[in-house]
Amino acid sequence: MLSINIFNGLVYGALLVVMSSGLALIYGLRRVVNFAHGSLYMLGAYLGYTVASHTNFWVAQVAVPLLMGLLGLALDRFAFRPLQDRDPLTVILVTFGLLLVLEDLVQTVWGKSNLSVPAPDLLSASVDLFGMSVPAYRIAVIFFGLVVAGALTLWLRYSKMGLFVRAASTEPTITSMQGVNVDRLSGLVVAVGTALAGLAGIIAAPFLSLSPSMSSDVIIDSFVVVVTGGLGSLSGAFAAALLLGQVQAVGAVYLPEFATVLPYVLMMAVLLWRPAGFAGNRV
Amino acid sequence: MSRELTNGRIAGGVALALAAGAVVALTVTSETVLSLLTQATIFAIFALGVGILLLQNGMISFGHAAFYGLGGYVVAILLERQLMSAEMALVTAFFGIALFAFLIGFVVVRVPGIAFGMLTLALGQMFYQVASRSRNLTGGADGINIPWPDTLFGLDISLLTRQDAMFYFAWSGLVLSIGIVAALMASRFGATTEAIRDNEERARFIGIQTLLPRVLIFTLSGTVTALAGLMSAFQTAFVSPESMHWSVSGTALMMVIIGGYRYLWGPALGAIVFFMSRDLVGDFAQHWLAIFGVALIVVIVFAPQGISGALARLFRRKAAVRPATPAVIHKLKERT
Repeated sequence: MLSINIFNGLVYGALLVVMSSGLALIYGLRRVVNFAHGSLYMLGAYLGYTVASHTNFWVAQVAVPLLMGLLGLALDRFAFRPLQDRDPLTVILVTFGLLLVLEDLVQTVWGKSNLSVPAPDLLSASVDLFGMSVPAYRIAVIFFGLVVAGALTLWLRYSKMGLFVRAASTEPTITSMQGVNVDRLSGLVVAVGTALAGLAGIIAAPFLSLSPSMSSDVIIDSFVVVVTGGLGSLSGAFAAALLLGQVQAVGAVYLPEFATVLPYVLMMAVLLWRPAGFAGNRV
Repeated sequence: MSRELTNGRIAGGVALALAAGAVVALTVTSETVLSLLTQATIFAIFALGVGILLLQNGMISFGHAAFYGLGGYVVAILLERQLMSAEMALVTAFFGIALFAFLIGFVVVRVPGIAFGMLTLALGQMFYQVASRSRNLTGGADGINIPWPDTLFGLDISLLTRQDAMFYFAWSGLVLSIGIVAALMASRFGATTEAIRDNEERARFIGIQTLLPRVLIFTLSGTVTALAGLMSAFQTAFVSPESMHWSVSGTALMMVIIGGYRYLWGPALGAIVFFMSRDLVGDFAQHWLAIFGVALIVVIVFAPQGISGALARLFRRKAAVRPATPAVIHKLKERT
C-alpha cells in the first residue's frame, strides 16, 4: 500500500515537474504569475486528444508542444511584453481573464463530457516493479519528467542562451545593456514555458481523464510547487514538485482526512517563513 | 475623491441610496428580477469587502471566498446542531469571523505583494478542502441546507423571505456598509492607512504604527465579505463548498477591477454590472465567463480605473470648478 503510493506520488511529482518548470520559467523572465498556466495545460491535453485520435500519441507529443509554443510566442508578444511595466498584480488579473477565455474555448470546442486518450501500444502493458504491478505508462511519465528536468538544466547551465536566460532573470536591465535582446529572449522563454504546459497536458492525458475541471486542481498544485521552491527557481521547483507528490501520496496513507490540506499548510509555512521560497527567485 | 467626503455628505448619500432602493423594491414586481437584484447586491457586498483591501492596503486577495463561505457554514453548523437560536447564530457568526479575520490578519498582512496573493489563495483553498472533505461537520460536497426557524428577530420568516423584503434587506446592508466604510476612510484612520499603503517604510519613520492599521483593514475587509456570506445563507438557505472555491474569489476580484476600486462604490457597481449584463446577454450566457474575461483584460489594459473611474472623470469637470470647502481644507491640514 505504501510503496504503491510512493510510486504514484513520484508519477504525479514528475508531472508537476513538467508543469511547474514552465510556470517558473515564465515568472523568472516576465515576473508574471500565470493563472492561465493550468488552462494552457488543459488546452494541451485536449489538443493532444484531437491530434492523437487522427495520428498517434507520439505525433501528439511532438506536435502539441510546438503548437503551444507558438501560442506562447503570441501570448508574450501581445500580453506580457506590452504589460511588463505594469503592476505585477494587474498582470496576474490579465492571466485570470485569459484563463476564463481558454476554459470557455475548450468547453466550446470539445464539450463538457470526459474524454480519454489511450496510452500508446508500446506502453499499454503492466510491468512488474519491486513486486508491484504498475502500468508501464506511469513509469514513462517519471521518465518524461526526468528528461524535461535534465534537458532544461543542461540548456540553462551549458548553453550560451541558457546563460543569457539566467542573466536576464536576475538583472534584466544590465543584461540588455550587454547587448542581449531581453524581449526576444523572454518571448522565447514564455514559448518554452507554454510548450511545457502543453507537454504536461499530453503527458497527463492517458492517465488522468480529460474534463473541463482538470485545470483548476493542477494549477493550484503547481502554484504550491513554485511558491515552495521559490518563484522563478527551476531547481527549487523540481525539488518541490517531488516533495509535493510524496506529501500527497504518503499523506493519503497516514493522514487520510488531512492529506488534501497538507500542500496548503506546506505552502503557507514556506510563505510565512521565507516569502521568497526556499531557493530565492533566480532561474 | 473620497477625501472630499464629509460625514454629512456620506449620511446624505446613504439616505438617498436607501430611498432609491425602496423605490426599486416597491416598483419592481417581477420576482425573478428582484431575486437577481438581491443576488447582485449580495455579491456587491462581497466585492466591496475585496475592494477595501485593495483600496486601502494595496493587496489582492485570492482567498476571500473563505470568508464568504464561512459566513454560511458557521450559521449552518450552529443551526443544524441546534446549538443556539438563529438570532444568536447570526451574531456569533458575524463577530466570530471578524475576530478570526483579525487574528489571521496579524500573520498574513506581513507578507507583501504577490506572496500575499498566493498566501490567501492557499488559505482559501484550505477551507475549501476542509469543507469538501469533512463530511461529518460540513456535509462534504453536498453542502448543508440551513434550517431557518419560523420567526427571526420577532418577524415572521414568510415576511422576511418575500423577494422585495429580501432585496431591500440586502440593499440596506450594502448601502450602510459603504456608508460606514466611507466614514472610516474619511477619518484619520483612513488617512493613516493610505499613508502606509503608499509607503510603509516612510509611514513607519514618521512614527505611525504600521502593522495594526493594516490588520484592521484586513479585518474590515473580511467582515464585510462575511456579511455577504450571511446574507447569501439567508437568501438561499443553503451553503456548499463551491462558495469557497478560489475561482469565486477570482470572480469577486474581477468585479472589483471592472467596477474600479478607486471609489468605494466601484466594486459594488462592478458586481451589479456583472449580474445584470449576464442576464442581458441571454443566449450567450454559457460563454458568459469568457465575455467577462475579455472585458477584464480590456479594462486592465485600456481603462485601469474601471467603470467608476470613467464615470467619475465624466463628472470631474463640474467638481473641479467648485472651490474646496473650509471643511476639506481643515481636514487636509490635520493630515499634513
